[in-house]
Amino acid sequence: MADWFSRRQFLINAGLAGLALKSPSLFANTSGTPSLSPIMRQIPGANENIPAIGMGTWITFNVGGDEQLVAQRTRVLKTFFDLGGTVVDGSPMYGTAADVVGEALDSLGAHDRIFAATKIWTGDESETRQEAARSGRRWGVERFDLLQVHNLLGWQGHIENLKQMKANGEVRYIGITTSHGRRHREFAQIMEREPLDFVQLTYNVLDREVEDRLLPLAQERGIGVIVNRPFQGGSLFRRFQSEPLPDWAGQVGVSNWAEFFLKFIISHPAVTCAIPATSKVEHMKENMGALYGALPDADQRQRMADYVRSL
Amino acid sequence: MSGADWLSYSLQDFVMFGPQVFLRLFVRINQDLWPWQVLAVVVAIGLPALLLKRDLRARRLAAGLIAVAWVVSGYGYLVGYFGPINWPAAWFGWAFVVQGALLAAAVFFGGVHGHRLPARRFAVFWLMAVCGLPWLAMADSGQWQAVALFGVAPGTTAAAGALAVALLTGPWRWLYLPLLLLWSVFSAAIFWVLQTWWLLLTPVATLLLVGAGFWLSPRPARSLD
Repeated sequence: MADWFSRRQFLINAGLAGLALKSPSLFANTSGTPSLSPIMRQIPGANENIPAIGMGTWITFNVGGDEQLVAQRTRVLKTFFDLGGTVVDGSPMYGTAADVVGEALDSLGAHDRIFAATKIWTGDESETRQEAARSGRRWGVERFDLLQVHNLLGWQGHIENLKQMKANGEVRYIGITTSHGRRHREFAQIMEREPLDFVQLTYNVLDREVEDRLLPLAQERGIGVIVNRPFQGGSLFRRFQSEPLPDWAGQVGVSNWAEFFLKFIISHPAVTCAIPATSKVEHMKENMGALYGALPDADQRQRMADYVRSL
Repeated sequence: MSGADWLSYSLQDFVMFGPQVFLRLFVRINQDLWPWQVLAVVVAIGLPALLLKRDLRARRLAAGLIAVAWVVSGYGYLVGYFGPINWPAAWFGWAFVVQGALLAAAVFFGGVHGHRLPARRFAVFWLMAVCGLPWLAMADSGQWQAVALFGVAPGTTAAAGALAVALLTGPWRWLYLPLLLLWSVFSAAIFWVLQTWWLLLTPVATLLLVGAGFWLSPRPARSLD
């Protein structure tokens, strides 16, 4: 364990050194205290912290049997780990993404560095265990840290099975997911009555509907929140990347748009982790920059949202 | 899910891969098939010559070669390469195989007519398809290895293969049509989401060549037999 820890720490530090060289402003802390520690968030109700920036695999890791792209995605995952990331989220729905993650983990020998989260995506509510087992084989993990019912598909049966699996130690945490703002009323009802560890939902600087009901409910119920589509499927970059960052960006620990969008999300007190997806090492470095430095407070968050709206 | 939920989905939600991965499929299959593409090019360019002869056996051979192209591009590209990243593509791959089998059945069971055909016009349309469309994937990817050849790439195969409408008798022709239309819609939707604008010309060309196939279809009175 000590060896693993030191190797991991070495890799993280090496990665941080690289990040510091690339983005010196990231570590030019205005408060005068060094901020090389990643922003960690406690999983509500558990004695465990996870990094506030994770990684999604939707589209980006679905590269089939293309060995050249598998190797390239392996470099993306390596960068993610090197810069302190652990939470990787997938789904059997994402084509070959699970196989590619598994192959990348094998190449990196990194099965012990991952917080593995996937989804149950089948309408057959008796298939929960089999689906989890299939995904486990594809990822090369013995058990998942988190299993979530994908987009509430067959959720009644799957939730019961997942609760049983958690009680048996077959999975550590359970949850449900939605995206694009779908089925929020039903989602809230499930949050109110089921013993969930996590919910996954869409939240970003433009899609803020969850601030009204789901995020406060998660806080109230002690449920961790994983945020998908933090860049609105890339459209935030297409809309705003040509615009300048505000003059006060440095005050909120932001040196590029990726950090701007991600820090807005993870600074919400209900949010545990955001899971941006990327296929490029450079973009992964930018995303992981949001895991370090200052976070905006409530007033600054409002200022960030106002600024984006004004563009 | 309610109707409103379904309406909240966009086309993008059903395309689970990016343009880089998609365009590399052409590169990968070309690398893996080499040097068999040479044969595909020879067949593609030489095929109209079979129709210039007023010989039903030569015409059947041409239809048979188009049938083989459907099967190879369907099973090879769609099932083998595209299907793993996009499961509906695998279904289309098997539909291509069935389309090839249908055309082969037409060859053996009287579905290829012996009427006179404006072979030169057919050749012009055919050569425009097999020589023009392969460059579109290259234009979108910027890689010459992405050339989308007839008999290898499904888009070019379907577009040129649409002209086989002109070789078929009535009922066979109508059986041959649905896949051409469905494939055009499916591939156009994918190219639209991926914003591979040059490739978007391929389904457009397919639909135009279906029309050309009907236009080239001879009148029954001008029989070779």
